[in-house]
Amino acid sequence: MTTTLVKVSISPQNIDVDLPVNSGLTELEFELYNQEAIPFGCRSGACGACLIEVVSGGVDALTPKGDAESTFLSVLGYEGESYRLACQCRVLDTVTIRPISQRG
Amino acid sequence: MKNRVKHCGLEHRHPFLNAAGSAQLRAEIDAIIDRQIEQWYDTVPYAAHLEGKSVDSEYYRRHLIETAWRIRLLRVSESKALAEIAKRSPEAAQIWANYEREEMLHDELFIQDLERAGVTREQFLATEPYLSTKLLTGFFSYLLDHEGPLGVVAYSYLVEYVNVKLEPRKIEALKESVGETNIAGQISHSHTDINDDHPGEVWQAIRFLLRSDEDVQSLKRYLDEHQTILALYFKELYEDKILPLEKKAA
Repeated sequence: MTTTLVKVSISPQNIDVDLPVNSGLTELEFELYNQEAIPFGCRSGACGACLIEVVSGGVDALTPKGDAESTFLSVLGYEGESYRLACQCRVLDTVTIRPISQRG
Repeated sequence: MKNRVKHCGLEHRHPFLNAAGSAQLRAEIDAIIDRQIEQWYDTVPYAAHLEGKSVDSEYYRRHLIETAWRIRLLRVSESKALAEIAKRSPEAAQIWANYEREEMLHDELFIQDLERAGVTREQFLATEPYLSTKLLTGFFSYLLDHEGPLGVVAYSYLVEYVNVKLEPRKIEALKESVGETNIAGQISHSHTDINDDHPGEVWQAIRFLLRSDEDVQSLKRYLDEHQTILALYFKELYEDKILPLEKKAA
């Protein structure tokens, strides 16, 4: 069986990770063990620790945003299409993301 | 002084299988279950009965009764499994807790269909489960006490994979044989498994529980053992509801 891989790039660290298509972005925590690329917390879309911005690849590169995620992102003040909670995303295509906590 | 704390699930944070390795093993396991399904149809009496054009009503009712009992009994040991899973992997425990939340009350869906089939809640509660159902429950207790939670989670993967693969075909057949409005509970149950990707959810819990190649071999053995016990149930059901009719007709 061949596993289709897609590239997830993390900015600004310039880290690339190949993940099987439809993998949860929480996989990054294990693929980048001890590198703390994205600070995952509750993994259920409730804490906001894993807030990211989709820098390139477009919104279709990740599974669509659900109502609960949209509502919580609004509460956090991130209403644009490009903002996501990484723990709620599955990767569908090549994408570059930036953890919000990494913003200088 | 040495820290004496153990079993907190933090010792093996990095999964044994990475994402690609997990996907590959899952494909291998799915192929094994596909072969088990073929074997099931070849060897288990009346295995495809509910997928046929006509359904024996007593067989159907008892199958619903036993399914509701199985959910009612296994949710107790599956809840105990959560504590064992949390000792090993909090990530797996979170997934398992969510899965159990979604499945916990599904016996009600089958009890609703039982009422539609003419079996009251009181009649259901007055019916003792088959020995095979009790043995399955006992096997779960044995696994948790002596081998760990992987076997319990493996059962759910087997059931969820088979449900998603075969249940739509069975549901379509039952719409014709029993009537769509009479199987509303089973349709809802099937919706949950498929729309919420229960096989994928349970697989993620398994992935976090696997720590070695030996665990992978155990997983394969559990799938075989669970199929053996489930086959005992279908044999018991056949011998209770169909065999007497066949003997009478002979």
